[in-house]
Amino acid sequence: MALSIEDLKLAILEKATKSPKPQLYIKDFYECDADAKPRVVKNAANDLVKEGKLMFWSSGSTTMYALKSRIKNEEGAEGVN
Amino acid sequence: MAKHETPLLDQLESGPWPSFVTDMKHQAETKPEVWDILGQLELSYTDKITHWKHGGIVGVFGYGGGIVGRYSDLPKRFPGVEHFHTVRVAQPSSKYYSTKHLRDIMNLWEKYGSGMTNFHGSTGDIILLGTRTENLEPLFWDLTHDLGQDLGGSGSNLRTPANCIGQSRCEWSCYDTEECCYFLTQKYQDEIHRPAFPYKFKFKFSGCANDCVAAIARSDIAVIGTWRDNIRIDQAAVKEYVAGNYPANGGAHSGRDWGKFDLQKEVIGLCPTGCMWMEGGQLKIDDKECTRCMHCINVMPRALRPGVDTGATICVGAKAPILDGAQFATLIVPFMKVSKDNEFEELVNFIETVWDWWMEVGKNRERVGETMQRVGLPTFIKVMGIEPIPQHVKEPRSNPYVFWQDEEVPGGFERDVVEFRKKHAA
Ligand code: HEM
Ligand code: HEM
Ligand code: SF4
Ligand code: SF4
Repeated sequence: MALSIEDLKLAILEKATKSPKPQLYIKDFYECDADAKPRVVKNAANDLVKEGKLMFWSSGSTTMYALKSRIKNEEGAEGVN
Repeated sequence: MAKHETPLLDQLESGPWPSFVTDMKHQAETKPEVWDILGQLELSYTDKITHWKHGGIVGVFGYGGGIVGRYSDLPKRFPGVEHFHTVRVAQPSSKYYSTKHLRDIMNLWEKYGSGMTNFHGSTGDIILLGTRTENLEPLFWDLTHDLGQDLGGSGSNLRTPANCIGQSRCEWSCYDTEECCYFLTQKYQDEIHRPAFPYKFKFKFSGCANDCVAAIARSDIAVIGTWRDNIRIDQAAVKEYVAGNYPANGGAHSGRDWGKFDLQKEVIGLCPTGCMWMEGGQLKIDDKECTRCMHCINVMPRALRPGVDTGATICVGAKAPILDGAQFATLIVPFMKVSKDNEFEELVNFIETVWDWWMEVGKNRERVGETMQRVGLPTFIKVMGIEPIPQHVKEPRSNPYVFWQDEEVPGGFERDVVEFRKKHAA
């Protein structure tokens, strides 16, 4: 059974809080609800950004998600394009 | 901002060609931060390492793309490039602008940024190079409200779709590339402005195999115009070319004397499938062997034209060399009707089937072409629900094994492994 959107969002936030690395790929959130379609998970994560709970972190070619409180400053360290 | 000593860059101005160093010095007269680009670049030439930092959380509210964060790792020394973010602005279809609009864009960019641009970037967008985080929201407001122009895609988004000029100016276009590009751009606004995928995703639209947007080399889904029926031949015009009365290639190579036009050598002999010949003073084409490469049509545009039953070939999976080496897109659907009459229904279904599969199966930072390579073409076309055809075969098989799926064998081969192992220990 797929989670409700609200429960899915909570699971995503929990994962973003507890994961060892602060920045996560959208695929890392798929396991928050193995029954949900990738697009549903993507929309939930993007909603959380809209609500100001998650931030996008983009290298320019890839986008990751993070809790704002877990990123030290505005800049990213990873040397990817 | 102080000028820096830049002997290595200055040397680049000594050649006979235009120099970006000269241009940037000129720009620095009104935008002094440009001195710091030159200074930092000079330092990179001696240090042999970049001083740019990639990425960040810059963006505008509601969008998860369109701004590419760039910072200097020596902000004290080069304060003008402490922030130097790139803004991607979605280009209009076919890149038609009025000069007024271009001036307006430049005025906006002089106001909020470095004034440096890249028209156009390899994605097709207008690239505005270099601004600070605090300028992004006001720039975005003016861009969208005063100029009616939007940001393009970046990151793991659908990138700004791009098309060749198509039927707006080109008689060879086999479908309306502008309409198709515009329609899909509107349809997929969410995918363009917010990340949706394991990695970037691009589609590009060319009206014929000349592929003026290089769709086959740089898009995950390349939609390239073609035709199913026969090349239209005007035999009288063929004779005019042979007689030298019409310039070959529309006169495109007239800067030099190439000698008399030679139909055999320049057209028939260069046909990649060898499907053309002269017979009784008439040019003949065996159309079922023709790959629709456009060569003969390019050489003799007044004599040869694409057929009238037109549509597009769909190729999937091109990419730049970042991870595993560059690759062209692979042919998946040889012919598809591409029409606004049914809102590009077949193409939309195709795109969404690829996305649903790739979002599930693609690894992080894996382009769809790499996912295809990993699972193999037979698996990919099965996912797409497409019957294999000879055109999918790139080379004779080197793997002698034939694998059968349960459903392909009469009666199937369901096995109870436990039962089996009772008799045959592993
Ligand atoms: C050593 C320094 C750099 C390296 C090795 C590098 C490398 C690359 C590579 C490999 C790409 C992908 C090209 C493609 O797929 O077509 C790219 C794209 C890009 N880079 Fe860089 N880059 C560097 C510095 C910069 C700087 C300093 C900026 C901006 C200030 C920048 C902005 C961009 C942008 C905006 C794109 C996308 C261009 C487009 O889509 O048209 N890069 N870079
Ligand atoms: C359904 C039954 C069987 C299957 C699916 C099977 C499959 C295979 C496969 C895949 C190979 C490797 C072939 C290669 O790499 O060139 C092989 C080799 C071999 N099999 Fe079988 N096999 C079967 C039955 C048997 C039986 C009944 C025997 C002997 C009584 C046998 C003897 C061998 C031998 C000696 C080789 C090595 C041949 C060589 O190195 O040239 N196989 N088998
Ligand atoms: S790709 Fe073909 S149709 Fe499009 S502009 Fe180029 S030649 Fe014309
Ligand atoms: S389009 Fe290309 S393949 Fe077809 S007849 Fe002309 S040259 Fe030959």
